[in-house]
Amino acid sequence: MANLEAKTSMSAFQLAIVLFVTCIGAQIMLTPRALIAQAKNGSWISVIIGGVLFYIATYLMLRLGKKYPDETIVEYAPRIFGRMGGIFVIAWFNLVFFLQVVTIFYGVGKIITFYMFDRTPPEVVILALLVLCTYCALQDWGTILRIHQFLFVIAYSILVVVWLTSILNFQPENLLPLWPVDVKGVVAGGLSTWGMYGGYECVLLLLPLVYRKVSLSKLAKEVGLAFIGVTLLFLIIIVVIIGVLTVEDAKNLPFPALIVIRSVELPGTFIERLENYLLVTWIPVVFDTLAAMMFFMAQICMRQWRHADHRPALLLLVPIIYVGSVLIDNPQIYEQTGNLTMWVGLAFSFGVVPMALLLSWWQKGKVGKDCG
Amino acid sequence: MAKKKWISCLLIICACIVTAGCWDMRELQDRNFVLAVAIDKADEVKEVETFVQPHGTKRYRVSLQILKFASGGEQKEETNTFIKSNTGESIFEMVRDMLGQSSKSLWFEHIQVIVISDAVLKDVGLSEILDFFKRDAEMRSRIKLYVTSGKAQSIIEFNPPSKEPGGVYLANIIRLHIKNVHVVGSRTDLGYTIQYFDNNSNVLLPRIEMSDKVVKLSGSAVFKKDKFIGYADEYAVAGLKIMLGTEKSAVVTIDSPKTPGHQVVFELFRHDTKLTPHVENGVIYYTDDIIMYGNIGELQGDISLNDTLDPEYLRILEVAFAEEIKRNIYYAEKVFKKDMKVDPVSRFAGKLKIHEPNTWEQVKDQWDEIYPTIPLYVSVNVSIRNIGNHK
Repeated sequence: MANLEAKTSMSAFQLAIVLFVTCIGAQIMLTPRALIAQAKNGSWISVIIGGVLFYIATYLMLRLGKKYPDETIVEYAPRIFGRMGGIFVIAWFNLVFFLQVVTIFYGVGKIITFYMFDRTPPEVVILALLVLCTYCALQDWGTILRIHQFLFVIAYSILVVVWLTSILNFQPENLLPLWPVDVKGVVAGGLSTWGMYGGYECVLLLLPLVYRKVSLSKLAKEVGLAFIGVTLLFLIIIVVIIGVLTVEDAKNLPFPALIVIRSVELPGTFIERLENYLLVTWIPVVFDTLAAMMFFMAQICMRQWRHADHRPALLLLVPIIYVGSVLIDNPQIYEQTGNLTMWVGLAFSFGVVPMALLLSWWQKGKVGKDCG
Repeated sequence: MAKKKWISCLLIICACIVTAGCWDMRELQDRNFVLAVAIDKADEVKEVETFVQPHGTKRYRVSLQILKFASGGEQKEETNTFIKSNTGESIFEMVRDMLGQSSKSLWFEHIQVIVISDAVLKDVGLSEILDFFKRDAEMRSRIKLYVTSGKAQSIIEFNPPSKEPGGVYLANIIRLHIKNVHVVGSRTDLGYTIQYFDNNSNVLLPRIEMSDKVVKLSGSAVFKKDKFIGYADEYAVAGLKIMLGTEKSAVVTIDSPKTPGHQVVFELFRHDTKLTPHVENGVIYYTDDIIMYGNIGELQGDISLNDTLDPEYLRILEVAFAEEIKRNIYYAEKVFKKDMKVDPVSRFAGKLKIHEPNTWEQVKDQWDEIYPTIPLYVSVNVSIRNIGNHK
């Protein structure tokens, strides 16, 4: 490969950054409404439940990866589940990314055309972003990693600063009662936060780049830090939305985060319509998430088809992603796709991965016994 | 290799042609900035203004105050805005039809104020009137909303003596509600009003009136959910603001205890107000504990008799101010609770929901009937911290 950015290793901290950046993408704008409608004033508890739950899922993935230090799930899945089972699991793994990518593209197209370019067809916005993400995903991991690190510092700091201006309209009373009356809704909300945290599955692909350098406990610590960061950011977003808008208002708004920012008036300044600033900082955040996910999808295909280069696979995926995104042509289909994505992702994290871990323990135990 | 470079350059140039510039470009000078909207009942339908409607009737008149961009040349023009209006039923349809009267597109991103005539609100709910404004992506959340008993169009036709654009002037009046206890101003804009609707709360909006070329905000239009039920006067609004603790500053007047017929004025600087719901043996009641700190702002009687350096006299004044504030609160309670039977901005319901969620679950469906029977106990303490520059 001509690209000198081909990366064979990275640090645990870099993995934590990738996790942070991949988890926090478009969903900070797209999912709060559904979560608040479900968990109401207890949404903040759901976010914490989600953080703990998906950290556990990631930890299981780290344990699984430790058993196969130089391989990704694409290589060891057939050994655990058998040839056909392996193909099925790998397809499932790729589907998790694919569904996330198409729903994000649809959501981004919808938001940008509604709030910024009202006369531009969403398909054009999707296409432009797809071209950009494809260009990024065509690079090698080193380049993508550098973009992640760069945007982690630049885009997220601006995003948080813009977001915190909404504190001007914050009413703590709107958060009360803090403890939920509807416990069931809060627990269900915890599961549905998968839509926000989704993306952590990438550790199954990236672990070989990290494993030779650090221990499992160090890795677990760094990944834990990433999850603390992600959870804190989601908490700030959800708490501010409810504090500014109230639960009842937020659940009637398709994109409450934007309305929160739109309500801000900075006294004594000429700066207005802050939602445009938020969108401008949000686009790079979405871009790096999408680019990373597209890269992961192409990597899965490349490894599955035993190619040396991920680029042909990526170029093959591009039209499929585009068609998938424009096929979601109304909010109802979007919601159904979102639910499907969530269940596919949850089943992968809490069904396939633990099963793979158990099977690998059992298989290794068996091998040990047979040898003995 | 060179060929590849050339192809790459060509591709980049082609990409620039497609992606550069702006698909949605609209030049500043090609827009008509709408600063204020007035909604009246359609009194007379002028044929040129209006349009043939497939559905509905000529129910409303919508008037737009538009900013003039060009200066008046050598002769300075009197106004920097002009008005366009139309009649119909759908506000959006009227606005779009108004493009027939305009050489530039109408731009709502800088709209400052919406004035609604109460004649309209006697027929339809406020939420119906505001739906277009809450739905459209161009609108801001902080658009000010006013209700008038007269013609809304006259209000937006008003030319401020300061030569500010009318919409900006009208919007800025409400910003001073912090110092004017007679006006409801806190959380009365479009964004908050939509929030009240979504929370099934009652709404208060500032009342604006115009007479003899004077525009004035005072009192409040009161809504049960989105249904207009009448106006509350300035004294009731002051009492309500003090009761709920939403005032930042206030002026309280009493008859001088030593020199009757002359007034003494207390200027509020800081307060600590706690409106708390209580449930005892299934009985709901509220307590309102208020502590106020401020200065003597004005004293009209003989200062030798009204000796503000005498601590005992100050104690007498503090008690008298506290009594007056209590009276004001109970007046507001009478107006809103007994006369109008409305929980203003559903604050009492909100407090119960927050502090006693289980009780709220039991009473929420009958709240409108229960609320007028719930007692409120008020306790006020006033502390005079300063007497001003002179005794």
